[in-house]
Amino acid sequence: MNQTNTRLLVVDDEPIVGKRLKQVFDKIGFAVETYTDSAAALAAIAEKSFDIVVTDLKMEGIDGVEVLKRVRAMNPKTRVIIITGYASPDTAELAEQEGVFAFLAKPFRLDELKEVIFRAMEPDRIKS
Amino acid sequence: MAFRDFLKRFSRQRWFTPKTCRPLSLTFSQFREVLKANNQALEIIADMGEKLSGDYLFDLRYVEATVEEMIAAMRRAIITINLLTLDKCVALHGIFAPMEARVRAILIRRDDRDGPPLLWLAEVETRHWPLVGGKAAHLSELLHNPKVKVPEGFVITTSFFHDLLDNNGICPEFDLFERMLTEPEINEDELERLRRTLREKVLQAEPPNGFLEKLTVVIERLAAIGGPPLFLAVRSSAQEEDMDFSFAGQFHSVLQVPSQAEAVYRAYLQVAASLFAAKAIHYRRQVFPEGCPMSIAACCQRMIQAAASGIIYSLDPMAPGSRNMVAVGALGQGQAVVEGQVPTDFFRISRGEPPRVLERVLAAKHDALRPKGGDDGGLTMQKVSAGQAEAPCLDEPTLLALAAVAMHLETFFKRPQDIEWTLDPRGDLYILQSRPLLITESAREKSLLSEQLDGYELVASEAGRVAQQGIGAGPAYWVETLADLKDFPEGAVLISHRDSSQFVQVMHRAAAIVTEVGSPTSHMATLCRELRVPCLVGVSEIMAKVANGEEITVDAEDRRIYRGKAVELLTYQATTSMDLHMAPEFRLLRRILRDVSRLNLVDPLMQEFRPEGCKTFHDVLRYIHETAVLELVELGRDENCLPGGLARRLALPIQAGILAIDIGGGIAPDVSSDQVPFTAIRSIPFRAILQGMLFPGAWHQETMPVSFRDMMHSMMTTPQDTLSGQYTGHNIAIISENYVNLCFRFGYHFNIIDAFCHEVERDNHIYFRFLGGATDIAKRSRRATLIATILEAFDFSVKTRGDLVIARTGNLARSEMERTLDILGRLIGFTRQLDVQMTDDRVVARYAEAFLMGDYGVVAEK
Repeated sequence: MNQTNTRLLVVDDEPIVGKRLKQVFDKIGFAVETYTDSAAALAAIAEKSFDIVVTDLKMEGIDGVEVLKRVRAMNPKTRVIIITGYASPDTAELAEQEGVFAFLAKPFRLDELKEVIFRAMEPDRIKS
Repeated sequence: MAFRDFLKRFSRQRWFTPKTCRPLSLTFSQFREVLKANNQALEIIADMGEKLSGDYLFDLRYVEATVEEMIAAMRRAIITINLLTLDKCVALHGIFAPMEARVRAILIRRDDRDGPPLLWLAEVETRHWPLVGGKAAHLSELLHNPKVKVPEGFVITTSFFHDLLDNNGICPEFDLFERMLTEPEINEDELERLRRTLREKVLQAEPPNGFLEKLTVVIERLAAIGGPPLFLAVRSSAQEEDMDFSFAGQFHSVLQVPSQAEAVYRAYLQVAASLFAAKAIHYRRQVFPEGCPMSIAACCQRMIQAAASGIIYSLDPMAPGSRNMVAVGALGQGQAVVEGQVPTDFFRISRGEPPRVLERVLAAKHDALRPKGGDDGGLTMQKVSAGQAEAPCLDEPTLLALAAVAMHLETFFKRPQDIEWTLDPRGDLYILQSRPLLITESAREKSLLSEQLDGYELVASEAGRVAQQGIGAGPAYWVETLADLKDFPEGAVLISHRDSSQFVQVMHRAAAIVTEVGSPTSHMATLCRELRVPCLVGVSEIMAKVANGEEITVDAEDRRIYRGKAVELLTYQATTSMDLHMAPEFRLLRRILRDVSRLNLVDPLMQEFRPEGCKTFHDVLRYIHETAVLELVELGRDENCLPGGLARRLALPIQAGILAIDIGGGIAPDVSSDQVPFTAIRSIPFRAILQGMLFPGAWHQETMPVSFRDMMHSMMTTPQDTLSGQYTGHNIAIISENYVNLCFRFGYHFNIIDAFCHEVERDNHIYFRFLGGATDIAKRSRRATLIATILEAFDFSVKTRGDLVIARTGNLARSEMERTLDILGRLIGFTRQLDVQMTDDRVVARYAEAFLMGDYGVVAEK
């Protein structure tokens, strides 16, 4: 399960989320950056590319769908996973249209997220 | 005559409780309702518990919403059990109400306000933790640990702290202060002014009426234990102190306090006022930037005359990878050490088995903090004689004993510990405090972890499911029967085929637990989470892969098991495990679960298994479940209540004479004849029992030769001896697809098996009761012992009294249930007439052995 060099960015305004995911993915060798502020996260994404971005949906300022749009615009290869406690079918559809890789409802098992992320790392994965 | 009357009354109580006849199907459907409500509540609790395992991400909204659901389910469970038992459990409403109130208080962070002003340290229970603060909570746990000495004492609770504020009119300022700390923009000048006011007012607060008298009583109780002269150490025990944050040295302690109530009260005020000390507020704002209500308790303990004192870390925080311990010490009282007032000896000790002293750096200890000597107490720095100053403060055996205690405490609390110790002049080591050791390590080392782990052989990966996250290493210790728990070694990894809540006995000593079957929602899993024992369940064939005694490392985060001690992983654990528990949602959920999920009523055969013994939600649910089962057990007992027309005879190749009453799905619908063949039985548990009874050799057709004496005995004792003579009538099985209640009346003995078995493990139970026999009580008791021995070997919880055997098991997967019921079927046949042969105690062992080996023919051999 050695995933050295996979670059993962996590943005969620609840600090526990970033802290926890960093712990989990550090352990298996990812390079993880975490942000509680979506603007700062986007600034980091503008500077270097990430393989995977995990973002919360509801955030102050720039929300998850907007993060998704901008990330996809900057680097279409980056997989974006949205985690949320309040997914309405509308937002889900909107996110689908914008090319979200997966939606995950909180609370979720870290294993579930791991699985989604491993799936996102499969090289030839085509998501339309 | 009087004795016989007694026996009659005794037996009548147990066997013939008069009750109204209700339709079986109604009773059964009510039973199902109880199970359903009970399960909903248990599932919610288990769900919350699983969140706490560290394997999930969740938020505060989740906690609040789930608590409401849980309370609603609890109420339903209590209502349904009263429907089933015709209001035999009304007491539960009154017992549950305060439990509910407490959980609601936790949700709004008010659980530190309701309780007694004083608590004896040794009598502190988990539910008191919010009242006594972290330090006292830990110490009270240690007081019951035979490997550690802790000075006796009592706690002035947080509930008293709030009373004090209330009585002295300080509440409005206190509330304002707490509110200010939660604000994003804090007016620093205003906060500072308020802080000072609170501090001054607390220092001058008058004791509430009657408090000093109560204080005198506990001080006298303490004096009675250790004898005079009694001085006290009054130490802070703040709400969150020691539990998750060190708060090291943030609050005040007053040492060598004279044993008069007035003096202890004054010392207490200093401790309480230190909640508002500038440095404490500063620290608090750092660790709780979002604010967090806090109150303070004081732990008042007997002062130990200290020859030497100091600190030991169970892991070197500067080099956690080295797996060494470090200790410092000086002469006299330890306050001088923690405050850095005196030079100290330094020791480095290996954590091996046994530990070894690796390094000693001795200081010239010219000063020691010691009692002034007067009646008014107090400590002062005193000169040490030249010879003593140069010698090590601890000799080697004592140092190694201290190291062993430190390692024990690390296993006990499941994290590296920062321990304050003191040595009395007689050479007894006392622990004054034990708290989690904070270790940080550079990220660089962490990122290499996955590569370092490649060097270890993987015994299992993607192994089972996580019951509690964590990492633990130690020698594997196989637990095959509950008797193996007795010798469970400190720091071992418990390996077992199935899980059992009985493992709780060794959880404080276990580094981790791995089971081949089991689920993360079992009682055992709940206990693991509560005691933070890393635990994987459902790891198939682990016993085939790991030898008893072999060193292994269990990673109950990534579900992997390594051969050997993966030091890097343990180091990683020591440096990261703290973060998780600091989040407010974790702390809140943990507090709630502490009140909810702990199971005190583990053994239904114990005295305290009654409504009044319930202390947590889980206890209430356990009690309800057991009561519901017992209600069912009684179903088939009174033949007068059974509907005659429904009973159908079983056509079996053995002469068991069983009538079956199907209350739903127990018999194939297309069987029309009155003689029901085995193949038509659809009841899962009944089928399993019959399978066992039909097992070749298990059911003995031969009649046992009964001796003349035995014959006389059975004739003489019938019908007067109600214990042995009355079980005439049919053998009746009340069955449904998932249920059986089987009553055997084999002439002179009476045997009930009540079992429920479907896909949800938690619902599954087996209740077994056996009583009586034709022969004298000695032989009957021997048979009871034989049955008990066999059932214990199959992990039943068993109680015997004379010739009565009651055994229970449950929470098993369907396949395990069927296997166990099959065994019971064989046992029924095997022991049916055995009492005649139970001529001496050796026969018991021989027959038990034969049965366990599958040698059922031994009975016929004679």
